[in-house]
Amino acid sequence: MKLLLVEDNERVTRFVVKGLQEAGHTVDNADNGREGMFLAASEPYDVIIMDRMLPGQIDGLQIVETLRKSGNRTPILILSALSDVDERIKGLRSGGDDYLTKPFAFGELLARLDALSRRSQGSGTQTVLEVGDLRIDLLSRKAIRGERSISLQPREFKLLEYLMRHAGQVVTRTMLLENVWDYHFDPQTNVVDVHISKLRQKIDADFERPLLRTVRNAGYMLTAEE
Amino acid sequence: MSKVIRSTTFALSFGYIAFGVVALVLFAAPLWYAWQVTVEDGRAEILRADTLRLTEVFNREGATGLKSFIDARVGMQLPGERILLLADSSLHRVAGNLPKWPSTVPAQPGIYTVPLELSGTPTESVVVRSALPGGYNLLVGRDVARFSPLTRHFWTGLAGAVVVLSIVGVLGGVLIRQAILARINSIRQTVLAIVQGDLSHRLPTRRTGDELDTLAHTINGMLDQIEQLVNGIRDVSNSIAHDLRTPLAELRSRLEELSLTRPTTEETFAEIDGAVADVDRVIRIFNALLRLAEIDTGMRRSGFVQVNANALAAEVVEFYLPAAEIKEVTLSFESTGPVSVSGDPTLLAQAVGNLIDNALKYVGERGAVKVTVGTRADGAVEISVNDDGPGIADSEKPKVTQRFYRGDVSRGTPGVGLGLSLVQAVAKLHGGTLELADNHPGLRARMIIEPGALLSGRARQVTAEPRPADIDAPKSPAEHVAL
Repeated sequence: MKLLLVEDNERVTRFVVKGLQEAGHTVDNADNGREGMFLAASEPYDVIIMDRMLPGQIDGLQIVETLRKSGNRTPILILSALSDVDERIKGLRSGGDDYLTKPFAFGELLARLDALSRRSQGSGTQTVLEVGDLRIDLLSRKAIRGERSISLQPREFKLLEYLMRHAGQVVTRTMLLENVWDYHFDPQTNVVDVHISKLRQKIDADFERPLLRTVRNAGYMLTAEE
Repeated sequence: MSKVIRSTTFALSFGYIAFGVVALVLFAAPLWYAWQVTVEDGRAEILRADTLRLTEVFNREGATGLKSFIDARVGMQLPGERILLLADSSLHRVAGNLPKWPSTVPAQPGIYTVPLELSGTPTESVVVRSALPGGYNLLVGRDVARFSPLTRHFWTGLAGAVVVLSIVGVLGGVLIRQAILARINSIRQTVLAIVQGDLSHRLPTRRTGDELDTLAHTINGMLDQIEQLVNGIRDVSNSIAHDLRTPLAELRSRLEELSLTRPTTEETFAEIDGAVADVDRVIRIFNALLRLAEIDTGMRRSGFVQVNANALAAEVVEFYLPAAEIKEVTLSFESTGPVSVSGDPTLLAQAVGNLIDNALKYVGERGAVKVTVGTRADGAVEISVNDDGPGIADSEKPKVTQRFYRGDVSRGTPGVGLGLSLVQAVAKLHGGTLELADNHPGLRARMIIEPGALLSGRARQVTAEPRPADIDAPKSPAEHVAL
């Protein structure tokens, strides 16, 4: 992926750029609003990572608004030290696609970037999702692995659907909380993990090759690859 | 002195006096005017009528007739009651009670007020001079000096009233000033004591219910709030110091140890992972504190929507169900149907989640946690989480909702000690309270909040209705999977 990072903190920039490059992405970066605006408007990027508070008269949200007004649809992830729900809503309303609060875990950022780039490819029209020999039908709400039909609760189906839409990508616990349950809070205990283990029981327990994997320090990934 | 002048009570009593004097003058002036007009006019009228009568006598009986008439009148009346004088054309006295025609009376007939000498004493009189046929002159008058004491008494009375009013006003002002000052001073003393740091002082109140008393009650209420907040801040500061210092201390020693001992790469990475976990703990505490601060400011109220508390609680129960199954705890849900509240769905879900999480944490193996949603008789909505765990001792109950407070039982369990504080803050934000009661055995945590508007068909329903079959049935315990 070709990414743009607009961030004024040198240390954060170095850390994020290095991490993203190691993950195989190309990263441009700008340390002020003016340059960020210029790059975002002139170069094609897969995803833009935009810090909210920037030096140089123009802040992150203004850039996002300007880009959206000029018809630029590049997915934008807003980074911010402001964690209030209101701030989050403001960020998304200005045209951002996702909102991540600082400080963040790098795995969380990477997973969200992957999800954003996938979203922009427009995979929402499919009615059948497949990963390896696991298949779900979004219309009849049925799941089948190999020859066997798997019975799932509605919420389990939603969880599996989200994992399958992001097959091959890491999804974090927070992403699952936000997208499957629409909860924007810390549930204190590892409830998401318990839901995953329950789902794993149903889709992986009796099969030789597990599809749902735990990615250390990050989250989960549904994949058919070895 | 300037202090006295500047004082409110001085201004007040001075104002009263000024007002009283003005009122008195306004009252007296028309009276004075009416008296003047009536008396003067009446006097002139009487004199004119008298003149007319005497003229008739003159016309009928001639100068001799009038002379004897006047002599008779003068003989009958009190001295000075009426001035009567008949003079001939050369102004020589013919009859009457004046020794001679007074020189002060003008030559033309008319009404005059002139100085006269009456029985040897100079006075002032109103006189009517008229000309009779045959060159005779008639003077009918009245001594008005006799009325001057009355005028004088009127003015003296008025002046006296002003003086009395002023004295009473000043005296009243001083008394009121002293009474009010005494109370204001006591308020000031208390406030000074509070400013100096002793927040336990309260303003003296009486049961009179007057304005100052109401003010004192209001200020006391404010002080209660401030004291609570200050104590809260103090507790929180202490707790933050403790709860943040622990992971920070761990983090610091980890990093310092790494820097000093330079262990093998593998060990170093393990330590670094530990350090990241320490930082995450600090971040979680920070996030919880920020969320609490956000709730406390009440900003979230702007985002209130109609929420079906029933569906919301059912969803949270469903969310925690697998976690309960792993502990072999029966988590059940019971409700009387859709219940609408006006609120923030995220915060309400988090609050219910915290209560369930708390219950699951303390309830024993094979225990039971029951969540109920219903409307109370007074219309308030009650979301209750009941468990059969160890419960909370009465003495501990007020403390557990304090920020960072952790009962002895909970030391060592995960969580940052803000769970119940958050539930309480959320309940407060929604115009309600958190009540902790005994469940015999266990804890009955009740979040009581104000009801919202009735749910209409269009109103936001959080999602589907609960499915009791899914939730109530105790599931076979899921295999514990290490993640």
